[in-house]
Amino acid sequence: MTGYVGRRLLQLGPTLFGMSVVIFLMVRLMPGDVVDVLTGGDVSITPEQRDAIKRSLGLDQPLPVQYVHWIFGMVTGDPGFSLRSHEPVYTILGRALPITVELVVMAIVISVLIGIPLGVASATRANSAGDFGARVGGLMGLSMPSFWLATLILLFTSLVFQWVPAVSYEPFLKDPLTNLSQMILPALSISVFVIAIVMRMTRATMLEVLKQDYVRTARAKGGTRRSVTYRHALRNALIPVVTVVGFQVGTLMSGAAIVEVIFGLPGVGYTLIQAIFGRDYTLVETTTMLLASIFVVLNLLVDLAYVVIDPRIKVQ
Amino acid sequence: MGDYRVTRRELLRQGSLLTAAGLLAPAALLEACGNTSSSPTTTGGTPRAGGSLTWALEQDPTYLAPFGPIPTSNHWGNELIYDSLLQWDKNLTIQPALAESYTTPDNLTYIFKLRQGVKFHNGNELTGDDVKYSFDLIRNPPPPGSVSSLGQVPAIASVDVVDKYTVRFTMKKPDASMLGFLAWGRYSGIAPVDMYRQINPVTQGIGTGPMKLVEYIPNDHLSFTRFADHWNKPLPYLDQILMKVLPDEQARVAALRSGAVDGATLSADSARVLGGDKSLVVLKGLTAAFREIQFTIKPGENKPWADKRVRQAISHAINRQDIIDKVYAGDGKYSGFIPPGYGKYPIADADLVSNYLKFDLNKAKQLMSDAGFSNGFPMTMLSIAAPADMTQAAEVVKQHLQQIKIDVSIQPQDIGTFAKNNGNGTFDCDLTSRGMRGDPNGFVAEFVSNARLWWPGYQVPSTIADLISRGVATPQPDQRYPIYTQLQQALMDEMLEIPLVAVYKYQVVNRRMHNMYVAFTDFNTGLKQAWVS
Repeated sequence: MTGYVGRRLLQLGPTLFGMSVVIFLMVRLMPGDVVDVLTGGDVSITPEQRDAIKRSLGLDQPLPVQYVHWIFGMVTGDPGFSLRSHEPVYTILGRALPITVELVVMAIVISVLIGIPLGVASATRANSAGDFGARVGGLMGLSMPSFWLATLILLFTSLVFQWVPAVSYEPFLKDPLTNLSQMILPALSISVFVIAIVMRMTRATMLEVLKQDYVRTARAKGGTRRSVTYRHALRNALIPVVTVVGFQVGTLMSGAAIVEVIFGLPGVGYTLIQAIFGRDYTLVETTTMLLASIFVVLNLLVDLAYVVIDPRIKVQ
Repeated sequence: MGDYRVTRRELLRQGSLLTAAGLLAPAALLEACGNTSSSPTTTGGTPRAGGSLTWALEQDPTYLAPFGPIPTSNHWGNELIYDSLLQWDKNLTIQPALAESYTTPDNLTYIFKLRQGVKFHNGNELTGDDVKYSFDLIRNPPPPGSVSSLGQVPAIASVDVVDKYTVRFTMKKPDASMLGFLAWGRYSGIAPVDMYRQINPVTQGIGTGPMKLVEYIPNDHLSFTRFADHWNKPLPYLDQILMKVLPDEQARVAALRSGAVDGATLSADSARVLGGDKSLVVLKGLTAAFREIQFTIKPGENKPWADKRVRQAISHAINRQDIIDKVYAGDGKYSGFIPPGYGKYPIADADLVSNYLKFDLNKAKQLMSDAGFSNGFPMTMLSIAAPADMTQAAEVVKQHLQQIKIDVSIQPQDIGTFAKNNGNGTFDCDLTSRGMRGDPNGFVAEFVSNARLWWPGYQVPSTIADLISRGVATPQPDQRYPIYTQLQQALMDEMLEIPLVAVYKYQVVNRRMHNMYVAFTDFNTGLKQAWVS
């Protein structure tokens, strides 16, 4: 176990380093640069003026030097300033990250609360009309893009109820009710995909587990249908479901980007999209690196949790 | 499409107020950009003080700093905070603002007399020192500004404080763009001395404008409160304004329908959909952002469009009304190099339609034949991907040019990539959009200043350069009008750029909102005078 964890932790360093190089280069390879955006492509700007802007932004340094400055700043807690607004990048992300985290957490909670009971119900009533309905619903959930669903939900509530979530973001600690009313629709929009995955995975593993000997034994011992399903079958069926939910955090974060734009929530995804259009290198690089790091660390944690939950992994 | 109300009466009233204000400048100068068109306005009536409204912005301002490059969306964020020495009214007539009058003792000097008793949001009184401080920073913008805005700034040699309420501007050369630059206000906001040391100008601001900034949360909202000591009483009428950033158009539509926001800018299609909603009013107005095609001509490349007749053929093969009908649902106008709505400078619509920009396929074919290209040629056209209308217009142009056997390949690009190619001149031709300028010279100066970049393989006629020089050096509007007419005629003979159409901007507002109008400048200036019932 210790060796496995050690190996996985050792892989983390090179993975993050490789990611940082790829992110840095990809951002710098984007056509157009921040100077073009700042000048609006104004061709009356002289080469000297362009050089002056580049110098003021630190973009006159060789790329390896810029990379070292950035990565050193990331590690020491100061990756620099937004090239467009000159706000410290960590100030911007400090504002945006809690919104996205709240959105993703809410989406996971919704997915689990809806997906698992649906999956269980579907498995225990396999091939019934209810099972068929849940499976078709799951297929639809997998097929519907979150941005389309988000737009549809917004238009529906505005047309039918003459209501949309409050337009200015209110932090949870400041006004919990307003905050929840703002976050529930976007969270629902991005969770539908994960609800479908959780439901299908729960159904499949439950069907598998329900055929196992220990379930038959539990039934033979006179256990009630409810206790056999939830105490014996579901607990074992949940192991792969937990893993899948963990892996979906990345999907939810990327799904959050477009939904944040639609609902006007100033989260990380929205910030990143704005930064990409503005060629705000420092902000794009740091935000992408942050998201990628979260993804990698979460994957690691899921892997480790899997080992803890399922002892057979250690043997393999 | 909702109800429009053209308020010519209000214009006349403003004109008489201007006279009463005793602006000392020569009357002719007041017409520096005098305009005959007026924008539809929400219903007037007796303004009511108090109340609040929420306005949806389609883009985050990014920062509020008043000096340096100010993209239009940035100005949406700071136009309620900062005032300039002069201002345009909604018909682009220059009006006094922080300067109550000015004199021009010679063609190199402007002396501005400041309004007395004007207060900044921090309670300090406006003086000549503040004007000098601001113009020093306009000409040397600190971060987040940069020198990239200097191309928009007139040729100011020095700014001197004559006394507490008098400031003298000395120009490097005669430059008639000075007054329009000040009235435009985009780059000429006045801030108090040392503001950049006292606050963070990225998210805060101290000006003399009608509203005080309460907070700016980037990517989310800006909130403003009424500045009771504003110099231009009885403005503002509103107690609070909230600007919410809602980049998604359907989100703005939903927010308007539900009443969560009181007004927003929308596409023509969305505006039409909301036209049937009785609680909403649709406003539309022209802006300066006309669409055009632009060529590059490089030495040694010998591209077909290096021949003037080919460029003329392309212009005559384009059916502009078809573009207006197919892309802009019938709402649009022909545009010359100075867009319709920009005072008396544009060429009359009838002349454009029946002469300079006439759709004449036979003439186009004849010109192509004369140039030796009756079999056509392939051509790559860049377009801006968003907003989508420019790529849609390019598709329509492609169909038109097939009639003269030009095979157009369209490459939509995001704005950053497009700007890069445009700035480097690395394109054959592109379909692009122009923006507002403080002076007519801004629409034509590039035919000299950018010739080395876009047309190094072509000799732009010297008459064009001469007319551009004369235009910018001539302060009297009556003398400038014929110069710019002649200049546009010469440019429409050359067709190094082919003007296409001027398009309308749509803003949908709640019926309780009054006095709002679509500003030709593409700003939301109507919010300064808006009130709610």
